This record gives sequence, structure tokens and C-alpha cells, in this order.
Amino acid sequence: MSNFIVKKVAVLGAGVMGAQIAAHLANAEVPVVLFDLPAKEGDPNGIVKKAIDGLKKLEPSPLATKDRVAYIDAANYEQHLEQLKGCDLIIEAIAEKMEWKDDLYRKISPFIAPDAIIASNTSGLSINRLAEGLPASLRPNFCGIHFFNPPRYMHLVELIATRDTKPELLDNLESWLVSRLGKGIVRALDTPNFVANRVGVFSILAVMHHTQQFGLGFDEVDALTGPLIGRPKSATYRTADVVGLDTMAHVIKTMQDTLPNDPWHQYYAAPAWLSALIGKGALGQKTKCGIFRKDGKAIKVLDLKAQDYRDSAGDVDAEVLAILKNKNPAEKFAQLRASGHPQAQFLWAIFRDIFHYVAVHLEGIAHNARDVDFAMRWGFGWSQGPFETWQAAGWQAIAEAVRDDIAAGKAMSAAPLPAWVFARDGVHAAEGSYSASANKLQPRSTLPVYQRQIFPERVLGEKSVPGETIWENAGVRLWKLPQVDNEIGILSFTTKMHALGRDVIVGVQEAIARAEKELKGVVVWHEAPFAVGANLKEVAEGLAAGKFDLLDEYVGEFQKASMTFKYAKVPVVAAVQGMALGGGCEFLMHAAKRVIALESYIGLVEAGVGLIPAGGGCKEFAIRAAQNATKTGGGDVFEFIQPVFMTIAMANVSKSGAQAKELGFALDTDKIVLNANELLYVAIREARALAEAGYYPKLSPRGVKVAGRTGIANCEMMLANMKEGGMISAHDYQVAKAAATALCGGDVETGALVDEAWLLTVERKLFVELLKTEKTQQRIQHMLETGKPLRN
Amino acid sequence: MSKQIQDAYIVAATRLPVAKRKGMFGHVRPDDMLAHAIKSVMAQAPGLDPALVDDVIVGCAMPEAEQGMNVARIGVLLAGLPNTVPGYTINRFCSSGVQAVADAAARIRLGEADVMIAAGTETMSLMNQMMGNKIAINPAFFESDENYAIAFGMGLTAEKVAEKWQVSREDQDAFAVASHQKACAAIRAGHFKAEISPFAVKAHVPDLKTGEVKVKEYLADTDEGPRPDSALDKLAKLKPVFAARGSVTAGNSSQMSDGAGAVLVVSEKILKQFNLKPLARFAGYSVAGVPPEVMGIGPIEAIPRALKQAGLRQQDLDWIELNEAFAAQALAVMRTLELDPAKVNPLGGAIALGHPLGATGAIRTATVVHGLQRTKQRYGMVTMCIGTGMGAAGIFEAIL
Repeated sequence: MSNFIVKKVAVLGAGVMGAQIAAHLANAEVPVVLFDLPAKEGDPNGIVKKAIDGLKKLEPSPLATKDRVAYIDAANYEQHLEQLKGCDLIIEAIAEKMEWKDDLYRKISPFIAPDAIIASNTSGLSINRLAEGLPASLRPNFCGIHFFNPPRYMHLVELIATRDTKPELLDNLESWLVSRLGKGIVRALDTPNFVANRVGVFSILAVMHHTQQFGLGFDEVDALTGPLIGRPKSATYRTADVVGLDTMAHVIKTMQDTLPNDPWHQYYAAPAWLSALIGKGALGQKTKCGIFRKDGKAIKVLDLKAQDYRDSAGDVDAEVLAILKNKNPAEKFAQLRASGHPQAQFLWAIFRDIFHYVAVHLEGIAHNARDVDFAMRWGFGWSQGPFETWQAAGWQAIAEAVRDDIAAGKAMSAAPLPAWVFARDGVHAAEGSYSASANKLQPRSTLPVYQRQIFPERVLGEKSVPGETIWENAGVRLWKLPQVDNEIGILSFTTKMHALGRDVIVGVQEAIARAEKELKGVVVWHEAPFAVGANLKEVAEGLAAGKFDLLDEYVGEFQKASMTFKYAKVPVVAAVQGMALGGGCEFLMHAAKRVIALESYIGLVEAGVGLIPAGGGCKEFAIRAAQNATKTGGGDVFEFIQPVFMTIAMANVSKSGAQAKELGFALDTDKIVLNANELLYVAIREARALAEAGYYPKLSPRGVKVAGRTGIANCEMMLANMKEGGMISAHDYQVAKAAATALCGGDVETGALVDEAWLLTVERKLFVELLKTEKTQQRIQHMLETGKPLRN
Repeated sequence: MSKQIQDAYIVAATRLPVAKRKGMFGHVRPDDMLAHAIKSVMAQAPGLDPALVDDVIVGCAMPEAEQGMNVARIGVLLAGLPNTVPGYTINRFCSSGVQAVADAAARIRLGEADVMIAAGTETMSLMNQMMGNKIAINPAFFESDENYAIAFGMGLTAEKVAEKWQVSREDQDAFAVASHQKACAAIRAGHFKAEISPFAVKAHVPDLKTGEVKVKEYLADTDEGPRPDSALDKLAKLKPVFAARGSVTAGNSSQMSDGAGAVLVVSEKILKQFNLKPLARFAGYSVAGVPPEVMGIGPIEAIPRALKQAGLRQQDLDWIELNEAFAAQALAVMRTLELDPAKVNPLGGAIALGHPLGATGAIRTATVVHGLQRTKQRYGMVTMCIGTGMGAAGIFEAIL
């Protein structure tokens, strides 16, 4: 098979989606040109340039690093269509009007290279119908490519073939989207709203319907339909506000217009209250008023009975909460159904109707049940899709309950459950997931790109590849995957949230010692988060007992663990995803190399609990500053300390893996991986490559020039101004000064020469001194109790 | 106490327009700006033999990198003055320019020199940080309470002044708007024309499309800082920069700028010998120290001292160029000394016109001596506060 290479991408339409898709392409280092209409006045690229500029202000940022905007070229349809000839992927993302799209396709057709892929990001229009706007010769190269908002963060992309789309084109595109852009692909059928929006919007309509039926408040429903049932914090109504109530109504209208024969058609209409809000111009977040309204700091919610806004509360009844906390899904659903509490009945009702809906529609809208579940996980942020939720709760029991409710007229539609539902025990199995259209289990895609995902996301019933344990304790497991590489060990932390306690610290040292004897390299890998930092509970226990000698020894062991990574005789590659905070950040800094998922949030956040990095973090930065200073003409060490000092003093966390390089936690030579599911695969190969290239650790640096007393004073000047300006507390000052002292190599003359052991001693002593302060102890206690930093 | 044997006269005073930081002089070297100021000031005294210049004193607040290496001497040579003309650089932060004028005048008043050039130059664009290219603070600042305030940034000291002298945010913002309005009106009326020597800027920029070096040329002849659209409601939206609950914002502080100015000071003998028409007589100068944490009040101490030295009363002053480092300190000074607002900065101040640190004193000397000539008024003053807690004030008497 020849390589599929995308040299350049054109994105047509610099609206919310187009601009953000372009941003994500830039995140992936893909050359991209963003088109829109020429501006009527001024710079002809004015519209696009404004959109590119707007990317910098969006939160969460569509850009992995701010400088990415410079890599999006601006163009317009009047002057620059020639540039399309050099693009091998063209993504159309203009407004959802068929005639506009037809016009645009006509206009661009003469400029499209014969082998280029043309794909529409439409969320509602028929892909087959859109293809008709292209000359016949280009139709085999056309498909739907449906990104979800925001495209950097939402994992899902739906790919939709037309009758004419070349199969190999979709395979190539899927492979590229998965590996290069880090997306999760669902092949959807060309039906209205495809898979995720079809099910997701129905789910919202069902919630709206039952909200009224059970007389619940919007805030109450949001409390019920958020994290308690494995859905995002913004739940239902706040999501609607964020999406925009007018947009929501538009999507509902599409379903109303295009699905006349659907058994749930009567519900495809905006409720009267929603239309009333839109009529008043209360469109949600963008108009600062919708279902919710911010009143100063208070959040108010629309109360339909009072026809006014009231304080938002959203209490979940204790009885219902107890049911939801039940870890046995079968019992949980049975209890919800049996309970007389309106909140419980509401929850059962929304699940029942969604189960009913997906069962009836599976055949028509998706290739198999796995696609529906992944679509809801990746496109709507559900922790579990509807089919796997159903199956986990006992397939037949739920099926019967749904059937009974349909018979009793309780369900939203009287459409019967399809016969296959009663002929099975579930839809997911080790061999694959059920396809209603093919009436059999369909295995996963066999595209080679998925070989790069050793542990892909699984639906219920699927099995993972087994690993071979080499050694383990209560904190870590050293294991390997002989079928992947028999000589590269995988070191995984097994603690909750991968917090770094004594078991991990000691375990790391033992594991590396074993790896040095019997392996060629080690990859530090586990699911996200990489590590949330030191185990504060253990620290607090030491504090409570007043055992500062032991705490000093504890920090010493932590440093030894870091140094074990750094000076291991075999290469240690850190495979990082999610949060890597405090000690987690220090560990990865000490690895021979880092392989970092784009969505990694890395930082030295010790200041939040009144401490400084003392697992070698300050030491590493001091050494790097000295090395960098040697490379510059002036040899000024402080120049390289200053930005790091601010990062540590402010406990700044990178907003992407790429930004971790800017902040200095990672090096330019480290690898950024767009798809976190490929991390392990890439890391094992990096470790193997390092080993094959004859890896050996460097000698511990000596003659390290430090910024010393003047460097500390420079930092203190910043702190003095912040403290006098009321921006930081006296304790913030003390903590940050300790960080400055560690970074500058201690209270020694500027330019003094030290070694690595000295730097470790300096940071360890300062750490223990801070532990002795009352305010740091309060911060630690507060963090343990609330999970939030205390400002004192 | 005076040992003065003769008067010192200003026969020429000029400046470049003041540029916003990273603005029209963003890449322009301070020694080139200085050379242009020196050349221009000499051109205003035709017939005066440049070889007679006894010395050139140049004020600069961050004399390092592009403005290091004794920028004064470099400026002399780049300006094409004979290499027999010496030069030295002085630094008293924001008063360096007027300090240069005072030092030049002093040499003449003592009879040690007959022709002196006093100048100032400063780029804030080419410095990496506010405090120069490399900060290196003395740890002693933090080892005793007495020295602690040396570490305070200027903005923080302005907050301290605002608090102690009770200058409200509203008053500061109103003062800032007035500064812009006065400056814009002065530009429209052409009041700066007499003092500005337009500067032809050349910029070598890469043209990425053609692969060629493009030389951009433009003539800078107008101050870049004043904003005709400055308005209270806009300024009210700005957040305080230096204190969480403060009142000092980017809008009511002086602008960071690039600029240069030069003043030609001669003895009476030279006036006669070359038949030069003096613009003003140097009447006196004083500096004073104040606590570093409220450095902005420096002029409160310096102005009475300078008046005493000149044998004048405050009401004798017709025109006061009070450097607007911050609206907070300018208002505190004006209120404490009961300065007549109508006489203070009639053409706007540093909030609008900019404040290129060490150059400002020379620049505003040019403003005041030309302003007095145009308005046929007699006494003018250039005064400012100075970092680490000082004030300076120089007085000029117009020769009409």
C-alpha cells in the first residue's frame, strides 16, 4: 500500500467550526489554508483574518500553543482559488444552506486536484444530495466529515460515504484522522443528523419532555443529568445555553422536516417555552441570558411556573442519590423504576426512552451498536453509550421493562421494540457488536492504523490484550507485552489517580533496578492521568505525627526515584496523557525522553499547597538554566531562571502537551502524539529505538553555574511588588522565595559552581522548612478536605 | 552661596518626535536618534564653529546595550562633530535630560566652558525589560526594612502616593483624558513645530514574498502617543496593573516611549561673538531626595528648592512642565504645592506625549523654552519625579 500523504488542507468557511478545524490542523503541524468570502471593505482577507484572530480569545483554547495561529494561511474565494490546486484535502464548513454549498462547489470544482478529497462538515444536509453539486468526475472523492464542537477537544468525527465514494478514500481519510488528528471515527449512514446528533438531540428532547411531565426545574434536571449519570457537568440545559438555543431549535427543526415518518416525530419540535425564549432574544450564553442567567456572581434559572428567573439550586433528593450511588447497574435501574420519587421516575423515563429509541433506530442509522455507543461517548461526552448502559443493567430485564412501559402507554412512542432485542442477551460481545441491518456481530475495523492502539477504547464485553507481569507492589506494576516487544518493560502506577505515595516511590526504584537487569528499556505508561502529584495524605500523616525527620527522608526517597529514571542504564520513556502535576511532572522531566499526548496538562503546582518542587524539579531547571547560559554569549543564568520561576510561583499548568515544551517541562526533541490511544505504541518504539541506538545515561553534571543570591533578589523584587500590590499573601511570598532559592542554587554567590547533589539538598531542605510552617500545613489540609487550593 | 561668574543661555533646543514603544522608532537605535538631535541643534546656531563645543553631556536612564558604551561620545562622532569634541553620559533616571542641561549650564556659569551641548536619548523599544537588559538586584534590599522600598516598581510607588495623598481613580482618569486633549490640540495648532526636528527613518525589512530586503522609509515629524479618542468611559474600563485593588492603570500612567532631544548652552561671550539670539537664560536647578516608596512626590521637595535658588516665587512661574510619570503623583504634587493647573503642561504631558525616561528632561526643556517664546511668557520650569525617590526641577527665563 502506498503512503497516504496530506500535504496541505483547505478549510472553506471561517465560521466557528471552520476556524477551529483549521486551528486543530495547525496543532497537528498540518499546513492549512482557511478560506472565506472576500471582505467588502479593506483587506480582502479581512473576514478570515478576524476569525483567525478570534481563535486566540476562545476558551478552552482551540490552539495547542498561541503561536499556532501564524500557521493558518488566510485566503478568499475571489483571489486565491488557485491555491486549492495544491491541497489534497478540502473541508467545506460553510453555513448549512444547500444552495450556498451548491454555488461554492460549482465555483471551486475547476481548481480541485483530480485526487484531492472533498469533504463536507455538514451536520444536517444529505451527503448524497451535496455530491450532486460536484461534477461527476469528482463525486468519488467526496464524503461527509462531521467534526464536533469544539473540534480540538471532541474526539468524534463521523465519516459519511455517498453512493459513489471510493472505499479506499474513506479508509485513507479515517486512518489519517485517527493518527494525525487524534480523532475517533464513526462511519455513519447518510441519514438526517447522522448518529451522534440524531441520538443526542432526541435525548435532549426526551429530557425536555420528561422535565415537564414530572414537573421538575431546569436546575434540578441538570443536577440529575450531569456527572451523576456519567454525562458532562454542563448536563442538559446548560449545554443548550452553551450551544445556543437558536442553534438547538434549528437542529430540532431539521429533524422535524426530514424525518416525517419517525415514530417520535411529534416530539421533534421546540417546546413552547424554548420558542418563547428565542423570541425574546434570550439565546443562551452568547446573549448572556437563556435558560440560565448570570446575575453578578449568582446563577439564576428560568422558572416556568413563575415565568421569571430564580436562584439556581438543583438539589438531588437523598433517596435518589443513594440509588445512583449503587454500583450494581441492574439494581440501580430496577430501583429507579420502582421508586415513587419524581426524580427517580424522571431518570428511568429518560433512559427508557433513549433505550427504546436506539433499539428501534439502530438498523436505520448505524452500522452497529458499538458505533452508537462511541458516537455518544465521543460526541456528547457520555461516559457510556446507551447500548452498553442497557447491557450492563441486564439486557433482557431492561428490554422487558421497556416493553411493559410501551404497553402501559408510559413510553414516548408506541412503536414496538424490534424482535432482535428479545432474541439476544446483549449487543456487545468479544467477537464484535450487533449490527441490526446485517443481523450479526460486526468486529472492529481492521484498518492498520488501529494496530497502533494497543489498548483502544473498549465497549462492554470486549477483551483487552493481556500483559505479562514482571514485578509489582502496591503502587506500581512492571510488566510487558511480549507480542509487541518482549524486551521493553511497561511501568504503570496502580494507585488512585496515580498519586505518588511511598509504594510508588519505592516501587519505581525497584522496578528500574529489575529492568536494568532483564530489559532493554522501560516505558512509564498508564491511562490518564499520568499522575496528580505526591500523595498528600501520607505527607499529612507525617505532619500530624510531627515526624519531620521522616518527611525529610520521604522527600529524599522521592528524589532518588526521579534520579533512578534519569540515570537508569536503560532508556526510560515517559508516555504522558492528562494531568501530570507536581511529582508527576518531576518524574517525567527525569525520563530519557517523553512521548506526550496533545491533551496533557503538565505543571509544578506545589505552590498551591504551600510547597516547592523538591523531587528534582527545581534542580532540573537550575541545571538546564546553567547549560543554556553556557550556550549564550553572556552566560547569564538568571535569564533562564526568570520564566521558570514565574511558572512555578504561579503554579502554571500547560494547556496542552505542546505548551509543556514552551514552559520547559518537555524538550523540543520530545514527541507530541495527537491520539492518546497511540501513546503506548509510540513510546515502546521510542524506547526500542533509544536502546538500539546504544543508549547510555549522561554523567551527573558538575560545575553547574547558579544564579545565586542576586538571582534570588531578582525574584524577590517581583514578589515584593506583588505582595505590596496585594496580589499575593505573605505566605505566597515565602513559598515563592523558597522556589527562587532552589532554582538559584541556594543562598550562595551568583556564579557559584555546584553539583547535582547540592541542588537536591537545597530543594529538599527548603521543602521541609515549608512543611514546618502553619500556613503550608493549613493548605495541605484544605486540599485534602476540599480538593481545592487555599489562599492564605 | 552662588559662585556663578556668568549666565548660561540656551540658544537652541530641539527634539525628535516622541514615538510609542515598539512604534515608529521601534527598531531605531538611540545613538542614531542622539546624533540627529545633536546635528539638528547645531544647525540652529549657524555660524557657530562646532569645534568650539567644550563638551557634550547626555542623559540616559538605562545606559547599556544600544545606548551603552558612553552613548554621548558615540552620538558626537555619529553627528559629525569634530573628533576633538568630547562627550559623557550621565544617569539620574527620569531627570537625566534636565540634569544634563543643568550640568552644562553649571560649567558655563563657573566659567569653565563657553559652549556646551546637553542632550538626552532613550529607547525603551530595544530594552528587553523595563529595568534594562539584565536585572541584578542587590539582596540587601530584602535584608532590612529600610531598604525594602528600593525594590518597588514605579507603578507600585504611584499606588502608594494615590493612597497617601488620596488621589481617586476618577481624578487620575480625568487628568489623563485632559493630557490627551491638550496634546492633540497642540499638535493640531502646530505648537510643537518649532521644537521638533523631523527624523527620516529607514527600516530594513524582509519581504518574505519576494525574498528581497525592502527598505521602508518614512519621515517622523509628529508625536505618536496622543490619542484623540481618549475618553473617561474607556479609561474607566482598564484594570489596575500594579495592585489588586489599586487605581493606577496603563491609561493614567505615562507611556513607554523612544525619543531624544538636545539643547545648546553658551556663555554671554559666545552670544556676542557669534551674534546668537538666546531663547532663554538658565535660572536654576535643584534636586531632592524623598522616600523611595513614594518617589512620585519628588517635585514637592525639588520645586521650592529650585525656586529659592533662582530667587523666584512660585507665582512667578508662567509655564510648568511637570512630567506625568503617573496621574496620581502629578496630582499629588499639584495639590500639595497648589500649582495652578492652567500653567501645568499646557500642551499635555507624558501620559499623552510619552516618557522616554532619560531623554524626557532634554525634550521638555525644548518644549518650555519654545513655548515661552511663542506665548511671550517669562519663567518656565521642567520638573519630574525620579525612581528610587528623588525630584528635580530646572527653571528657565525666556529672553524675549
